[in-house]
Amino acid sequence: MNRNFKFKGLIAGALLCGLIGCGGGEKKESDAGSPFPRSKTLYLAGSQWGDPTTFNPMADVWASTWPVGKGAFNLVYEPLLSFNALDGKFEPCLGSLVSKSGDEIVIDINPEATWSDGQRVSAADVKFIFEIGRRFKDAPTAINAEYFTEIKVEKVQNNGVETERLTFVVEKKVRNNPLIILDHITQTRIVPSHIWEKALADNGNDLSAVQKIPVDGSAVVSGPYKTEAATNEKVVLKRRDDYWGNKALFGGKKPVPEFIIHPIFKSNDAFSIALQKGELDGSQTFIPRIWMKQKDGVKTWFDQAPYFLAGAVPIFVMNTTKAPTNDKNFRRAMAAAINYNDVKELAVSGYSPDIQPGLIMAGIGIEGKYFNADDAKQFGVSYDPERAKKILADAGYKSVYKADGTLDYMTDKKGTKLPTLFIKSPAGWSDWEAIVTIAVKGLRAAGIDAREGFVDASLYWPARGSGDFDILLTKPDNAVLPSTPWSRFFNVMTSSTWRPIGQNMNENYGRYNNPKSKEFNPMVEKLLKEIPTLSDPAKLSEAYRALNKIFMIEQPAIPLAYLPEQFYEFSETRWTGWPTAADPYAPPLLPWVGASTKILWQLQLAK
Amino acid sequence: MKQFLTLFKSPMFVIGFSLFVGTLLLALLGPLVFNITTERVGVQYAPPSGKYWFGCDDLGRDYVSLLIKGLQASLYVGFLAGIIATTLGTLLGIYGGFKGGLVDDIINMVTNLFIVIPSIVIIILISASFSEGRSLTLIAVIIGMTAWTWSARAVRAQSSALKSKDHISLAKMNGANTFAVITLHILPYLASYVFMVFILQVATGILTEAAISMIGLGPLDTVSLGTILNQAKNNGALSDGIWWAFLPATVIITMVVFALYLINTSAEGVFNPRLRK
Amino acid sequence: MLKQYPTLRYILQRGGWYFITFVVAVAINFYLPRLGSNNPVKIIMGNTSQGLSSEAVKEKEEKYLKEFGLVKVKNGNIVRNEDGSPVKASILEQFISYVGMCFKGDLGTSFQKYPKKVLDVIKEAVPWTIALQLPTILFGWIVGNVLGALAAYKRGIFDKVFFPISLLLSSLPFFVFGMLLVYQFAVVWDCFPAMGGYAGDLIPTFSWAFFSSAAYHYVLPFFSIFLIAAGGQAIGMRSMGIYELGTDYIKYAKWLGLKETRIIAYLFRNAMLPQLTGLALSLGTMIGGALITEMIFSYPGLGMAMLTAIQNNDYPMIQGCTLLITVCVLIANFTVDILIGFLDPRVKAGLQIGKGK
Repeated sequence: MNRNFKFKGLIAGALLCGLIGCGGGEKKESDAGSPFPRSKTLYLAGSQWGDPTTFNPMADVWASTWPVGKGAFNLVYEPLLSFNALDGKFEPCLGSLVSKSGDEIVIDINPEATWSDGQRVSAADVKFIFEIGRRFKDAPTAINAEYFTEIKVEKVQNNGVETERLTFVVEKKVRNNPLIILDHITQTRIVPSHIWEKALADNGNDLSAVQKIPVDGSAVVSGPYKTEAATNEKVVLKRRDDYWGNKALFGGKKPVPEFIIHPIFKSNDAFSIALQKGELDGSQTFIPRIWMKQKDGVKTWFDQAPYFLAGAVPIFVMNTTKAPTNDKNFRRAMAAAINYNDVKELAVSGYSPDIQPGLIMAGIGIEGKYFNADDAKQFGVSYDPERAKKILADAGYKSVYKADGTLDYMTDKKGTKLPTLFIKSPAGWSDWEAIVTIAVKGLRAAGIDAREGFVDASLYWPARGSGDFDILLTKPDNAVLPSTPWSRFFNVMTSSTWRPIGQNMNENYGRYNNPKSKEFNPMVEKLLKEIPTLSDPAKLSEAYRALNKIFMIEQPAIPLAYLPEQFYEFSETRWTGWPTAADPYAPPLLPWVGASTKILWQLQLAK
Repeated sequence: MKQFLTLFKSPMFVIGFSLFVGTLLLALLGPLVFNITTERVGVQYAPPSGKYWFGCDDLGRDYVSLLIKGLQASLYVGFLAGIIATTLGTLLGIYGGFKGGLVDDIINMVTNLFIVIPSIVIIILISASFSEGRSLTLIAVIIGMTAWTWSARAVRAQSSALKSKDHISLAKMNGANTFAVITLHILPYLASYVFMVFILQVATGILTEAAISMIGLGPLDTVSLGTILNQAKNNGALSDGIWWAFLPATVIITMVVFALYLINTSAEGVFNPRLRK
Repeated sequence: MLKQYPTLRYILQRGGWYFITFVVAVAINFYLPRLGSNNPVKIIMGNTSQGLSSEAVKEKEEKYLKEFGLVKVKNGNIVRNEDGSPVKASILEQFISYVGMCFKGDLGTSFQKYPKKVLDVIKEAVPWTIALQLPTILFGWIVGNVLGALAAYKRGIFDKVFFPISLLLSSLPFFVFGMLLVYQFAVVWDCFPAMGGYAGDLIPTFSWAFFSSAAYHYVLPFFSIFLIAAGGQAIGMRSMGIYELGTDYIKYAKWLGLKETRIIAYLFRNAMLPQLTGLALSLGTMIGGALITEMIFSYPGLGMAMLTAIQNNDYPMIQGCTLLITVCVLIANFTVDILIGFLDPRVKAGLQIGKGK
């Protein structure tokens, strides 16, 4: 029957196509014929999520693409210094640190640092990008200029080589914060002023027009790699063999991978599958149960729990302008009701060590020494549902239950019915959603009427800034910087930028410590202004202790776990030589940022 | 009515019907038989055991409870969406097919408009304006409002074929107005067809809800079979071989939809004598 | 004059209605995203205004509002209210300027992917979506209808086995099927790639290596949609086929002793008409239909771009994508209407009768 033949023919044809594809498709073992041979390419993912847009270093941070966009990537453009979160040291990049104090920060520009067109990296380049805020208020690095009054330049002799010495003079009247200047110095990428000043002049001094100039691999850069290609599926970087740092910083060695490719995946699962199959070498996404993939060669910093080195603290921020979250007893009761162990085990797959009360990460890195165990026991609250109920009862709150035993609502000490509190968090981030769900369970078990309030991410950001929430899940810090842990306290407790609900704030979303109210506690502001100027370790310890004590007593926010600043997971199927806790020659970050870029020179092909 | 009773003579119908009633009973009476709880009862992704037949999810919750709650939610969405879609589609389809001419063209245009606007746009837009966000009912209503186009087309084709039939022309000549003709003469003729359309719309509603939840646009405050699958995907259950996270939910959805399709096909066989064999 | 050419009049009439639908659809798709209070600039700012002073934030916001055409501008400066806040550009103004730009071929600049142009995003992504959808839909339709007609004609054992299987297949949620395929073939057996449109180390070029790699990556996504689509079509065709087989004219043809192939040709031609409508609908909505498959397989198509655009209220991107969908759906429907007009003799007869009036 012709129908039969047609039918069989179609099936056979489809199978044939599959087989051709199988046979003609790429084989992972040989490099033959590939423009980016596997044995010369490093695959890293997790930083770029959307289509590549522009590689223009002057463009707004949210608009540009890895490795030029959001984050302190130093593969193509470089900052003056790199901060090593493991030991707190400033490692040299385009510059090296000479001295720092509360009044000035002195840096020498590396005399061997050159741009790809041969010109030396000079003080003019540094001044261009740091002082641009004085010319254009909306430049991406405009904020830098508010923290120093001037950058003094002088020529000095260093071992017979003429060097430019920069002195950042700390601005004392308003900001007075050398820590933030150090943050900027380690994060701001230096761009060639001779190129971009000309671009500004050619475009009538219009920064917006300059930001729209398309930039490709032929741009003048200083870093070890340059952009080679970009599609809506990947970004490709190619090694620059004339990179100045090969000779100056690495004794003449080149980075081992010739190409770095950042694939753009569309779902979380893709990262873990690619790592398991050895198609991805490094990823910074949250992959649950990573120990199950160790047999496929997927490794992390520690080879057992908590697998990652902590660096950031997700917190619940409470809206302190309305009842009942304006009552610190209520907030402390909430902190006592959440089962942090469940959060650790179920929400973040065990990737956090056990947390302690307060905003200092106990036992972690450089800030661990500021943790005071006695204070924590005396003033802080840990998971203790009975204590939570007692605090609520003492403060006059009653929980009213329905006939079937479930919680209905709460009343305050005057008897007024309290509204349900919603914990706002972006929908679709599975680890965050799990944290909120677990917290809600604990809260309701203790009699606190809270519920999940998941919203689309696009609604979450504006709500966060304007204070439109009861309780909010957020991360005050995203990286370990010179200003950590001060910046975390600042982000949670500062009143210096206080604005009422409805107007935008970039820190202290919960509007804690209203400067105009009677309960205003001036100690908080005093400590926050004082800490960046201190250099005596004893005085610093005292100041942090005092600040943390206020935090624990007032509880404006509830820390939930100690998560890593970036999830550092890599595959040893293709490349070995990664730093781990056993061999910590670089901090636990992928080799594209800060002091971890040196990993590129240490990698070797797996046998 | 008698038409519907003859359905039971077809073995395929009986199988499909019992399967569907079985899942309905599971959804309605399940809580009485099983202990439904959303508390943590085990470790993350605990494998199936004697106590917890389908193991636990990523938050340590018992899957049997989640599946039953999810089934309730999915059936609710399917029925509500099916009712809305069938009602809208049938009314518009009959009216357009019967009247023809300008009215038909306008209804056609409205149908096309609804096809053209992606349902995703409507879902996100509407859920953004509700402070409680996306609830099950909202999703059901939106699915109903975007799925009716198909049944409108199908019913319209039937209706316009009918209008040239003799008894309709007779009614018109007798001076009956449109409304009377539709309700008294066309609708009974189409009753069986509308029934089949309804069955298919319910099935589509269940599948669409699962698809929407997979994109991440599902209900934010309840469990449904789609959100169970979405959670499994987001937590990477697949690549770790944790089959109990997604297989049971898949099987349940497939079974329910399969039962509905069986009912539909057997009904087709019964109502259309030429299909009987 | 037109009355002499009923076919032409039919085409023009249908075309006219489709044109009106097109205009209304474009207007609605323009208006809908702007209904919500979800201001796209606020979304961008909320994500990235860390570390800026409030004045700088306000300036930046206004810069974007002006750039995106969301506020009234006079002589290059923003028109302000008494309290200093910018005056929003009226929706009608925005619409008119948008239409003007479209006629020049400029679909605007995406907000979210600033400064990428909408047309560039679509050009890069649409070929993949079409490559994923078009062959799957067409093959699924052809294979499904052939199998369905076969089942209708032969009945017997083939039908009893084939029918429940295809019914079961079409009950499966296709995305789970895709996930299972990935797991079994890409992870456990590792003979097909798990993700991507082409190999990780290739750039799209016109080379044999690229096309064979794309084909290799195409197999799993193709099968995940194709099998279920074919199953669905087979069911429908089987019902239509059985229905037609029972009609008088087929019985008559059989008694007349016409060749079997002839009879089946008649059968096909008449049973296919409603199936064609279904095909048109599937083809029309194919642009937005592959969203989940693209998510599972990380396929670089338009689906994900559209989803993130809608979530972030990226007006130009939403308008561009919906414009594309509108055009596709309406063209598909229009073509089918015309085709049915030619293929279905009842429609032709209707036209002739109309001529006689």
